[in-house]
Amino acid sequence: MFYDFHVHGNGKLAKEAKRLGYHAICLVFHSNNYNQEILEIYRKVKKNGSVNSEYPSISIGVEILSKTTEDLKKNIKEIRKIADVLIVHGGNIKINRAACRDPRVDIIAHPYKNRTDCGINHVLAREAAKNEVAIEINMNNLLKSKLSIRSRVLSQYRQITKLQRKFKFPIIITTGAHSIYDLRTPKDIIVLSGSFGMAEKDAFDALYVTPRNIIERSKIREDVIVNGAKIIR
Amino acid sequence: MKLKILPPSLREKKRYIAFEVISEEPLSRDDLISLIWKSSLAFCGESQTSKFNIWVMKVWKYQLEEHENVLRGILKCTREEVNPVRATMSIIAKFKGKRVVFHTLGISGTIRSATKKFIKPKE
Repeated sequence: MFYDFHVHGNGKLAKEAKRLGYHAICLVFHSNNYNQEILEIYRKVKKNGSVNSEYPSISIGVEILSKTTEDLKKNIKEIRKIADVLIVHGGNIKINRAACRDPRVDIIAHPYKNRTDCGINHVLAREAAKNEVAIEINMNNLLKSKLSIRSRVLSQYRQITKLQRKFKFPIIITTGAHSIYDLRTPKDIIVLSGSFGMAEKDAFDALYVTPRNIIERSKIREDVIVNGAKIIR
Repeated sequence: MKLKILPPSLREKKRYIAFEVISEEPLSRDDLISLIWKSSLAFCGESQTSKFNIWVMKVWKYQLEEHENVLRGILKCTREEVNPVRATMSIIAKFKGKRVVFHTLGISGTIRSATKKFIKPKE
């Protein structure tokens, strides 16, 4: 039972993910491309996933691209209603910080993007653990880089893994696939994560436990009034 | 004069990795070998690669419904270095500017069982 929570694509990609051993995937579209038409297409694919055994079960995710924290907050409020999984496009330190502090956010995607450090420090790690915001390790950054850049990416992954061991924030490994050539089998990803010092059990949790928790939280989110209290229907 | 073969207890223990390659352009056996070696040298370095003892044993053309260029094969490596070899293979993404992907199908102790279980499984 493995989950890939960052796939930009269509039904073909979903089918291939199922063949490779993924139980569920999250089809993600960017918030700036968001319109009703795209949402309908995604919902159709999602429906296929629940009916057809060739497809994995599919969730819809939105990746918020914001440049300022005010814009981010506005987008979160608006998009939280339509998305099963809410992802914030990381990289900017201000955005990383704001996302870590917001419990409505499910995942911060590649917080290390276009940076020399990993984009997370001990303060943000503590906040992420408190608010259960998952930090993403996106394998696409590793696969698409070479030599010196690849070694920098590996070092960033290593830093995140080290912080995770200390602060226990949820960590999630995704493929970030745009095509079938970006997908890898879950077992290959577990082995690959060993190259940046992640233990096999932690990698397993990142591919299974964290995404499962996000889905479960997403199901009860509407009923939760405040943290710790929910309406029983 | 040929060297006498080592007794089994002194021979290196090996494992066979069954793999699948999907590519945009058709690949030959030599292309596969060069891809794996280059990736291994770049990702693990010369010293680490020397421990792998990589050898491509067999390659088959395979038909999958949605993909045109699919190869399946068996790669030999030392028992202790299975995981780094697997990582080396899964990190391959391009060959001569065209997209390629390696998937590991499984690991076995003999070529026969690797073929039976992963390359040509009975339905």
